Amino acid sequence: MRIEADYDRCEGHGQCEERAPEVFELDDDGNLVHHYEGRDLPAGLEDAARGAAAVCPVAALRVVETSPAPRT
Amino acid sequence: MTTVATAPHFDADIYTDQALREPYGHYRALRDLGPAVWLSAHDAYAVARYDDVKHVLATPEVFRSANGIALNEPANAAILGCTLASDGERHAHLRRIVAHRLTPRALRPMREVVTDAADALVADLVARGSFDAVGDLARALPLSIVPDFIGWPEEGREHLLRWAGANFDSFGPLNARTEAALPQCGEMAAYGARLVREGGVLPGSLGAGVLEARDGGEITDEQAMMLMLDYLAPSLDTTISAVGSAIWLFGAHPEQWDRLRAEPELVPNAVQEVVRLESPIRGFGRLAAQDTEIGGVAVPAGSRVLVLYASANRDERHFADPDRFDVARPDALEQLGFGFGEHGCAGQGLAKLEIAALLTALARTVRRFEVGAPERALNNLIRAFASVPVTVHAD
Repeated sequence: MRIEADYDRCEGHGQCEERAPEVFELDDDGNLVHHYEGRDLPAGLEDAARGAAAVCPVAALRVVETSPAPRT
Repeated sequence: MTTVATAPHFDADIYTDQALREPYGHYRALRDLGPAVWLSAHDAYAVARYDDVKHVLATPEVFRSANGIALNEPANAAILGCTLASDGERHAHLRRIVAHRLTPRALRPMREVVTDAADALVADLVARGSFDAVGDLARALPLSIVPDFIGWPEEGREHLLRWAGANFDSFGPLNARTEAALPQCGEMAAYGARLVREGGVLPGSLGAGVLEARDGGEITDEQAMMLMLDYLAPSLDTTISAVGSAIWLFGAHPEQWDRLRAEPELVPNAVQEVVRLESPIRGFGRLAAQDTEIGGVAVPAGSRVLVLYASANRDERHFADPDRFDVARPDALEQLGFGFGEHGCAGQGLAKLEIAALLTALARTVRRFEVGAPERALNNLIRAFASVPVTVHAD
């Protein structure tokens, strides 16, 4: 799976960083840095990344299932 | 083909004085009845479960805010076109004019201002020993920060709290509270219109930015008037509610206060937990733009949908032991008290900053809150105390 970030919609609330600091962080200017932009997450970070997408207050993070699609 | 169910009915008025005081039994009954429940007293479908609340908020193209926010037509007509009550591109455009001033990155310079104000206020109140956690603490901080931030002139500030409360009351069903509130909302709108006509807002403020956008042709006079009010009313009662509830909760759960003092890094999570358990905003409405379904229950086009944040936040299907106050709750961040998605609270960064600053300042010196008999403030939309008498015991 990947996470797509909508940088226009992101307002820098930082909840993704609280949930998944290995995947997302805000830089010194408060801008979103997505460490797995455009690529699949390692299996060990998938749950944290899903959680981060779920708690984005403005729904700027979208989970994209890539093959093989995991069962939910 | 999926099977579409018919919504169960719920006949009680959930806006009586008693229901506003003790809403959680009704919310539990609504959750147990189903994903969408027809409120016969209010001509609306209640959405009370966490997953369904999140679905509705995440699907703004179906569940619209224009003509949908309030449970009554006069209020919906009055607010039509403001940021809260608009959709799609129009909403995104209005939100962009102002919201960038409220993001955590934009608020960084405010951090010191808010922290200093909270520290001074708490030092003064701790020295007094006994005070009203609503009047003296919860109201004092936002009132010392927000009107300046928005740029509201000194003249007129005395009406802010009354107007903000009326604004929220007006979103309920057309009951006596709403009827009393509507004329006061008119006063507030007239004041906003005068600000746009005559200026007088503080330089460099959010309000000044709104007037610049108007002068630059980005927004109309009417939109400017609405933007002047959009961020004022919601930034007072909500934060005040959360701070009053926090003190009441910590008074009733001293072991949680001990934990917060021992682990002050839990303060941001504690703020989320207070908003989860005693959600300041009970919920907002939406209007179904097409025939749809919520959790398999049919909702026809044109239906009003009441999205109950305060119920979602106590949904036992999502939160373990949901009625328990736990500052270390691992999933407190998932609470929906600030809404979610396109219309998610734009001011939540400022709200969290204010509440966290007060709790941090209190945690440094206060050992115990001894809370007396609190008094509820009854509002159609906001759950809050009118007063929480408290005596603090310092180290």
